Amino acid sequence: MVKISVLQHAPSTHLPARPGDPTPTSRNLDPLMHPFARARERTRALNAVKMERMFAKPFIASLEGHVDAVETMARKPETLDIVASGSWDGGLIVHDVSRRTRLLQIEDAHKGKVSGVCFGQDDRLLSCGVDRNIKLWDSHKGFEQDESAAGPSARKPISIFPGKTAFNSIDHHRYDPLFATGSNLVQVWDETKSAAISNLTLPTSTETVTAVRFNLAEASVLASIGSDRSFTLYDIRTGKAERRIIMQMRSNALSWSPTFPTTVLLASEDHNLYTFDIRALNTPTQIYKAHVAAVMSCDWSPTGLEFVSGGWDRTVRIWKEGAGTQPEVYHTKRMQRVTSTLYSGDSRFVLSGSDDGNVRIWKAHASDKLGIVTARERAAIEYRQGLKARWKGDAEVSKIARTRHLPRPVHKAAQLKREMLDAARVKEERRRKHTRAGENKPKAARKKVVIAEQS
Amino acid sequence: MARGRNLGKSARPAPSSRKTANALGYAKRHTLKSKALSAGDLGDVYEYQQDKVRRSKVKLQLERDEMGGARSGSEEEEEGPAAKRKDARPRLVGENDDDDAIGEDEDEEIDSDEAFEESDNERYAGFSFTEKKKTGTKSKSKKKADAGRAVRFAEVDLNEDSDGVQPEAEIEDASEASDGDDDDEEEEGDPSEFIDVLDVLDGRGDPESEDEHQDVQKTGSSKKADVARTSEDEDEDDEMNSEEESEEDEDEDEDEDEDEDDKMDSASEPEDEEDDTALQHLEQFVSGLDAGQKRKAPDEDDSKDADPKPAARKRRLLPERTELGAENEFAAALSGGKLNLDDLLAPLEGQSSNLASLKKSAKVLASTSGKVRTLSAPLPQRTAEKLDREAAYEQTKEEVDKWKATMQRIKEAEHLSFPLQAEPKSRTSNLELAAKFKPTTELESAVDKLLKSAKMREDEIAQTETLKMNHLSVEEVAARRAELAKMRDLMFRAEAKAKRVSKIKSKTYRRLKKKERARLAAKLGEGSDDDLDDEEARLKREVDRARERATLRHKNTGKWAKAMRERGELDEDQRRDINEMLDRGERLRKKIRGEGDSGDEGSDDDASDEEGEDGAARIKSRAFDELAALDVDDSETPAGKSKSIFEMKFMKDAMAREQRKADEIADDFVKEMGGGDPDADDDADAEDGDQPSGAIIQRVGGRVVYRPGALNTGVRPVGSLASDTSSVTLKSTDLPPEARDSPPDNSPPGSPVSQRRVPPPTDEVNPWIAQTSNKGGLTKHEVAISKESATAEKSKNKLRKRVKNRLEEKAKALEDAAVDVSLSTVMTLANGSEAGPSKAGQSSKSKSSSKSASVAKGKARAPHDDDDSDSDANSEVEEQESALARKGKGKVKAFEQRDLVALAFAGDNVVQDFADAKRREIQEDAPKEVDTTLPGWGTWGGTGTKKAPPKPHFIKKIAGVDPTTRADYKKTHVVISEKRDKKAAKYQVKDLPFPYTSKAQFDRSMEVPLGTEWNTRLGFQRATLPKVVTKMGKLITPLEKHA
Repeated sequence: MVKISVLQHAPSTHLPARPGDPTPTSRNLDPLMHPFARARERTRALNAVKMERMFAKPFIASLEGHVDAVETMARKPETLDIVASGSWDGGLIVHDVSRRTRLLQIEDAHKGKVSGVCFGQDDRLLSCGVDRNIKLWDSHKGFEQDESAAGPSARKPISIFPGKTAFNSIDHHRYDPLFATGSNLVQVWDETKSAAISNLTLPTSTETVTAVRFNLAEASVLASIGSDRSFTLYDIRTGKAERRIIMQMRSNALSWSPTFPTTVLLASEDHNLYTFDIRALNTPTQIYKAHVAAVMSCDWSPTGLEFVSGGWDRTVRIWKEGAGTQPEVYHTKRMQRVTSTLYSGDSRFVLSGSDDGNVRIWKAHASDKLGIVTARERAAIEYRQGLKARWKGDAEVSKIARTRHLPRPVHKAAQLKREMLDAARVKEERRRKHTRAGENKPKAARKKVVIAEQS
Repeated sequence: MARGRNLGKSARPAPSSRKTANALGYAKRHTLKSKALSAGDLGDVYEYQQDKVRRSKVKLQLERDEMGGARSGSEEEEEGPAAKRKDARPRLVGENDDDDAIGEDEDEEIDSDEAFEESDNERYAGFSFTEKKKTGTKSKSKKKADAGRAVRFAEVDLNEDSDGVQPEAEIEDASEASDGDDDDEEEEGDPSEFIDVLDVLDGRGDPESEDEHQDVQKTGSSKKADVARTSEDEDEDDEMNSEEESEEDEDEDEDEDEDEDDKMDSASEPEDEEDDTALQHLEQFVSGLDAGQKRKAPDEDDSKDADPKPAARKRRLLPERTELGAENEFAAALSGGKLNLDDLLAPLEGQSSNLASLKKSAKVLASTSGKVRTLSAPLPQRTAEKLDREAAYEQTKEEVDKWKATMQRIKEAEHLSFPLQAEPKSRTSNLELAAKFKPTTELESAVDKLLKSAKMREDEIAQTETLKMNHLSVEEVAARRAELAKMRDLMFRAEAKAKRVSKIKSKTYRRLKKKERARLAAKLGEGSDDDLDDEEARLKREVDRARERATLRHKNTGKWAKAMRERGELDEDQRRDINEMLDRGERLRKKIRGEGDSGDEGSDDDASDEEGEDGAARIKSRAFDELAALDVDDSETPAGKSKSIFEMKFMKDAMAREQRKADEIADDFVKEMGGGDPDADDDADAEDGDQPSGAIIQRVGGRVVYRPGALNTGVRPVGSLASDTSSVTLKSTDLPPEARDSPPDNSPPGSPVSQRRVPPPTDEVNPWIAQTSNKGGLTKHEVAISKESATAEKSKNKLRKRVKNRLEEKAKALEDAAVDVSLSTVMTLANGSEAGPSKAGQSSKSKSSSKSASVAKGKARAPHDDDDSDSDANSEVEEQESALARKGKGKVKAFEQRDLVALAFAGDNVVQDFADAKRREIQEDAPKEVDTTLPGWGTWGGTGTKKAPPKPHFIKKIAGVDPTTRADYKKTHVVISEKRDKKAAKYQVKDLPFPYTSKAQFDRSMEVPLGTEWNTRLGFQRATLPKVVTKMGKLITPLEKHA
């Protein structure tokens, strides 16, 4: 008799133990069986970085509706994508970004430009304008009435807070029904009171305040920037302006970090962004250099690890916190000066409002895949990320990862700027060389930013 | 501090005649002292005690004379802390002169501002406050003493009759400096104001309350004063001590405090002005009595040597005396001294019980109205606000700094998953669900109603139970409890058992268990079938049956049939079905039997059909088995018949011959079939052991290997083998020249050099292993050659290869054709080869070639690992044998081993070769100039033309490596290649990437690959986990404070 041996496979060896589990892989884990690890991984890293560039299609959509330049934008707190935007023509729109619809549109919210918007409590919307008024709107009603033919122009504000001078900025307290405005004063208002409840302005200041922002985690702390090249820190608990720094150039926008309550970001006229630690205001903690024109706006990602900035150079840049160079750069042919930028609530998208009257939606990470990502795919993506990170020192990989095609004017401007800076540096060096040794020492760039710290 | 600065300001008057003034003052003091000593009044009591310490006494004197400052006890109290601070740095009288010059120059106002900007700010920023507080607390302890002094002085004033001229002078001074003093006052106020702000921020209180607090303190101190009066002597002692201490401190601190010198100026000035004329003093006193009270600071500083308190005592005394002097209603106004509260209270002295309480209550009034004291003007708004802001900033900073740890953690986190402050997921408990439950459907509401009626709902159940329990007797309760305990115990046991059982790993046990369970299930199923006739079960059975019908209709071994059989009772339908099935099976079998004549077992046929391909192999293996059986028979038969014709010699011989032939045939067959017969091998080995000659024959009969005569080219002397592996750059320079030069085929290829080899014990054929191993060897060799990279060598290698191939082919052909190889040829050839080592090399080489040949042939006769080792061992044995044989023959007997080695390496000048190779390498790498001019182009031809020098642009310069800059320059024993490995360069980085601090660190990070091929699934996931994880559409809120 011939004995027949039958091949038998235990299902447990090749099938997942439980329905959700991954299928057991049958492969040899002996590294000798998989030679040339480094070579293979480098190739993969190269492919990964190429793929990243290939799939970098950050632009998603453009939200229209404003007649003039978009001056200001604000996201409704505790929502992902309800965004209000105000423009130079006095129009005010509340966008639902994910649906790309307008929840509310007020044509003549203000006479002249709407200089600031923010959401208050209970679906209320606050806007201030150069017409010296602050208006409180009920945006919730707008959400419902959108379908009805009531007409946007028929809308009346709930209340109007008259001011003495044109307002430049408004921001709402995180918890309390308070809001702060910046005109030539920094005032704190109560939603229920028609006049400002306090004036925090520094007695010696004679400047125009261009922006005020409440801290998010430390909700009573307020900061403002002004035309006097100043950054001022307030606390509404003590009711005082506490400290002021005067910088080399004025700032155009400021934003508080949501995860690092001591960190504040300033978008400066000198093409740079600065982060300051408010505990030590004499030097910035980091300088972010890449814009080739004044930075007009900035906003932190909700993670506090990234931020977006829009510049006069018609680019939107996305920075990593602590990395002062080589940000991601977005640009479009038709996008003009970027006057306001914003992050979405899940930190995946970026909005930019520009001089051309459009609000544009961008991905925060250019090559992100939108839509459902399977576990396998995610693993692959993560692997690619890991490879990129590991091989970032490789010349070829880093070059591909680094290279960005910029619009010609931006490129040229960058070149020119570099040249000028180099020249200045060289001149400084020469000057130093021809003065007595040790007479004037080189000053770190960080030390040059703040001229004076005042209290 | 502020106090000190006051003093600085009052340093305005010219100190031109200071020294003289000092001298005068000193003289006066002495006279006064003598006077005072003579006059034995109340004050003398103290003085007497102070007499113990000489200097302190002097101080007292000084105060009495010079300190005329209009100053009240309460004021002193108020300034207690400041005074205390001052105590820490007192001065000697004489010192002040030196400090003067500096003090004078300073303008008051500027002075104040600047001082604030610079030093005081810093102090206020945190340090001075604490100090202040400290002093405050300290002062409280000291306050008793102070208060005591103050009140005491007042008493002393009353009794003393000393001339008021001197003090008046002092007062005048004070009035002079009153303007400045106002400022001073403001700044005096500073410290208290700072404290206020801080306190406000701290939430401890607001400025007003603080002021109140101070007032309270004052009043408190006044109370204490009363107490102190009783224990005056003790206080006095304390005073003395403190004074002494202060003196000592003074000496120490002199050098340290520069800025306090300014303050000292003022201290010195009053002294200077002592010597103004008495008249002036008087006038000034009358006019400036009010402002004079502010002279406290100068007083104090003056009295660095002396006690400030006695001075105050003196001052106090003056106005009262004047009043006493002119005791009418007009005189009081004329005298210029203001009406004091004490004056009003004086008539009440008689009712002492009332007075005490009255004084207490009036103390507050006294502090303000009693003295001629103006309220200190507030700080300039700007300064005050600035200070406020400073403090507020500090406070905010402090508040914000509470995030420090959080921020640090976020910064240092390896992985962050946003939102960071996720809401705590609370698991909904049963209780919670039950509490929230509301019946919605009919059924639920019905159940709820029932429960309600039975009072068994969750909220009522406890109540009902207790109600029930109420009616139970003790025994019943006990029984219930016992039962509960039992149940619990049983449950516990069952659980423990289950746990134990679940840990049993025995397969048999499991199998038994399973069967048991199946049986149980079947039984249960029957039971259930009977009573319920489960629809689903029936459906399932039907499906089973259908499946069986589709496949195994002819058998009754299917699941369904089995189940049917097991059930026993069958209805007609089922029986019919089973019968039908069996019939069909029978028919099929018959059919098979009828057609397939040889295969009578269906199952066998089936199996063969199934295997298909394996059929041939099976036949083969069967044939092998038969062969083996024959062998066994053969070996057994002679053993069995001990005495027969077959036992005779010739028969045996013949049998052996026959046997051998048969074996050969069998071997051939085996070889042809490509299957190794393990038995045969075993036999062969056994026979080897038995008889050497037989072994040879067997070997011949076994695997026969042919190889070319001499493949010298690839062969190296044994000694030089090491150098082969040592360095790539050494190349093959160490090859013996003759080996290199000699033609590849020394021996005619036709002559078969057969190696007697044990046929490999290949019971299984594994061509993959053989091939890979072989290939590996070959590739390795090729790589080595390519690295050696000399073209000559390459070509040589090629040639060698070609020859080898040719030889192999020939050998193959021969192998196919001839099986017989005479032993003699082998021997002769072996003998004919001249040297041992070379032969050994040869043999090994030929072996490898034979291996490749066999593989190429496709005959699955691949050598195993053990086979290799076998062959190696054999070759060694052979070598020894041959050596022995040589010795036996005596031809090479004369050669010693040493000679042999010498012979082997004859003409092998390795060192020279190496040097040559290195020189060549250096020359190759050296910078060169190559003339790339094409001859005939760009030049004139014909006869008589001179050859033009090459044009420079046609000269191509190759920048090589300068010999002197080579790494192996002047290192004769090595060649260090200067060639850059372009391919490897890709995987190298120029400089260390950022986060790494050392090369080793970086290397280690790059060492382990990331991918799944090199990691476990978990390791891969862990390694590729991104630093920041966010979810699309998941809101990330800013950090929040959690209460």
